[in-house]
Amino acid sequence: MDMSQYKALFLSESREYLRSIAEQVVALEQSPGERSAVDALFRGAHSLKGMAASMEYGDVVVVAHSMEDLMARVRDGALPFDPGVADLLLEGVDLIDVLLQDVEQERPSTLPTGDFAQRLAIYTPAPPKAAPADQAEPQEPAAADAVTAPHSATAPAAADAAAPPAAEAEKAKEPAGEAGGTVRVKTELLDHLINLTGELVTNKQRLLTIAGELASPPLNDAISETAKLLRSLHDEVMKVRLMPFEAISDRFQRSVRSVAKKSGKEIHFELTGREIGLDRGMLEQLVDPLNHMLRNAVDHGIEESGDRERAGKPARGTVRLAVSRDRDRIQITVRDDGRGMEPATMIAAAVAKGILTPEEGELLSPRQALMLSCIPGFSTAKEVTDISGRGVGMDAVNAAIQKLGGTLGIESEPGVGTTISLRLPLTIAIIHALVVQVGQVKAAIPVNAVQRTVELSRRQIENIGKRQMFQLDDEAIPLLSLNRVLGMPLGRFPDGILPLFVTEARGRRVGIVVDRLLGQHELFVKQLGRPLAKMAGVAGGATLGDGEIVAILDLAGLL
Amino acid sequence: MTAERLLLFSAARQLFALNLQEVCEVMEPQRCYPLAGAPSHYHGLINFHGNLTALVDLAGYLRLQGRPLPGKVLVIDTKLAHLALKVDAVGSILDATSITGASSHEDPLTEAVLDTPHGSVHLLRLEALLTGLEQELQQSAPNNAKPGGT
Repeated sequence: MDMSQYKALFLSESREYLRSIAEQVVALEQSPGERSAVDALFRGAHSLKGMAASMEYGDVVVVAHSMEDLMARVRDGALPFDPGVADLLLEGVDLIDVLLQDVEQERPSTLPTGDFAQRLAIYTPAPPKAAPADQAEPQEPAAADAVTAPHSATAPAAADAAAPPAAEAEKAKEPAGEAGGTVRVKTELLDHLINLTGELVTNKQRLLTIAGELASPPLNDAISETAKLLRSLHDEVMKVRLMPFEAISDRFQRSVRSVAKKSGKEIHFELTGREIGLDRGMLEQLVDPLNHMLRNAVDHGIEESGDRERAGKPARGTVRLAVSRDRDRIQITVRDDGRGMEPATMIAAAVAKGILTPEEGELLSPRQALMLSCIPGFSTAKEVTDISGRGVGMDAVNAAIQKLGGTLGIESEPGVGTTISLRLPLTIAIIHALVVQVGQVKAAIPVNAVQRTVELSRRQIENIGKRQMFQLDDEAIPLLSLNRVLGMPLGRFPDGILPLFVTEARGRRVGIVVDRLLGQHELFVKQLGRPLAKMAGVAGGATLGDGEIVAILDLAGLL
Repeated sequence: MTAERLLLFSAARQLFALNLQEVCEVMEPQRCYPLAGAPSHYHGLINFHGNLTALVDLAGYLRLQGRPLPGKVLVIDTKLAHLALKVDAVGSILDATSITGASSHEDPLTEAVLDTPHGSVHLLRLEALLTGLEQELQQSAPNNAKPGGT
């Protein structure tokens, strides 16, 4: 029987099982006595094996079968769920993932799966270390504790009491099938749907332009009704494109685990909001920034166990990744209870590096001082990491978030910990943007990046050194010309009024002067493809209602 | 080595060719919207069946002396790029069997210089062209923001 037509479904379901298995492994490390999770792991490996066997993918069967056997020994009490078991299971997940790629590419697998199966079959836990003075591997005692303690606590009553919510959560993680009114849809179809919706939004703007010229009330009514329907259509299509955060969250758990292990720190990792839906396109682009933030939190934010105990904190540090939704915004926070950051130290480091003058440093608020870690060059310096305990690659994180139309904020209290908050739009496909005129060109700036617009009189401009500044909310804000940034002739402003918008660049508010502010538009963002996708400072393009094409500027890349 | 069918076109009094499969449409010049910050041989963006497509003056990119002709727009396959090339004229489709000779060329953009009944033709490497355009964009990043300038 030709099974090739079922290959896409097999790959999709297998990857969901792998994701679920990886999550369960990491969760079990946190609470090894969770019987329902042990059962779920066993079932996951068993289901994977069954699916692979029916498709005659022998290598996948071998690996899944050995994982299933290992979990059977754990389930039957013959083996504790220790870090060694976790490592082997995660290795198995990685191995199957590679095998699935081979299946997908229709190439023969060259991976030796027999050795892996053999290692699982003969696995026995390492004897516990007796000497508490063994400082070489500080993570070992904690991991051993995590295994032994739940064993004594795994009384049937306790296990039963814990079972219902865990079982419920487990049920929620079962891969979705065709049953229960759900269907699997190819992602290209969803992309096509959002494209069509976007084109309709563009066309609505075109109709609005025509209606403005004709001044016809019935036409206005019809367009108004069409606009409402379009808004509903857009909302529904966007819902279809949403994917739960858990689609990417397993790698964060593993990333934290890996950094903790390497740095010899004890970390408790918490993840909330895994069910929150995010735009599929955005989800993929969040992986690297979030990984960066979490690794920073573990590697630089959380102190060594000894330091924590001396500071009166639990030896085990906590890193929390939380996702929530507030109407049409997504909030993601990474919070640690580590050493925190000291604004004054950040300012001193920036002054020492010549990024700020001492006078400019004095003008910074504590929040602005913390945002210095997002300035390119500042964050890569080793001494800053040592001083602030944070900051590796935060400029890249900030740039990636701004490119998605989001904002990044940092709060920190020395000795207590740091919270980095990301606020993101629900969708990156259709956005509201401020359209501006610079020279002969129109450009669009996502409104998320615009704090406010100002019409500034020349009299309000002060010259401080070589800089031109103006006062806003008792803060001196430097002025930049967008014309100059884009290499275009400077604007003239014969009436003495300079239109500008205020945004945040390199941790500071900046006034960006343009020739004209043309108003806010709802735009369908289109990717520019090769070669323009490589152009710094341009996030995409869009068509205005009159058919004119504008570039959507990425201010983070531009400034 | 050479594709079975090539599309011949001219720019700055030179004959060029691309693999026919790399080109999806030849159009008359159409409304183009300037793109701030791009090098001068980027005429701007055009709307090609909903795809926002960069229109590049090929002669300008190759630093050849262009001609003031309305010319033609040669749209690259949208699966490969969102790029259209402004050229002087588009000629015939050349069958590989009519190529009488081929020699290599030191320019990485040129896969080969072909001897054809129409004369000497530079067969372009599309991938090299795209990579070159991308590298140029990365190197000509916008001015770093300078203070003032109002």
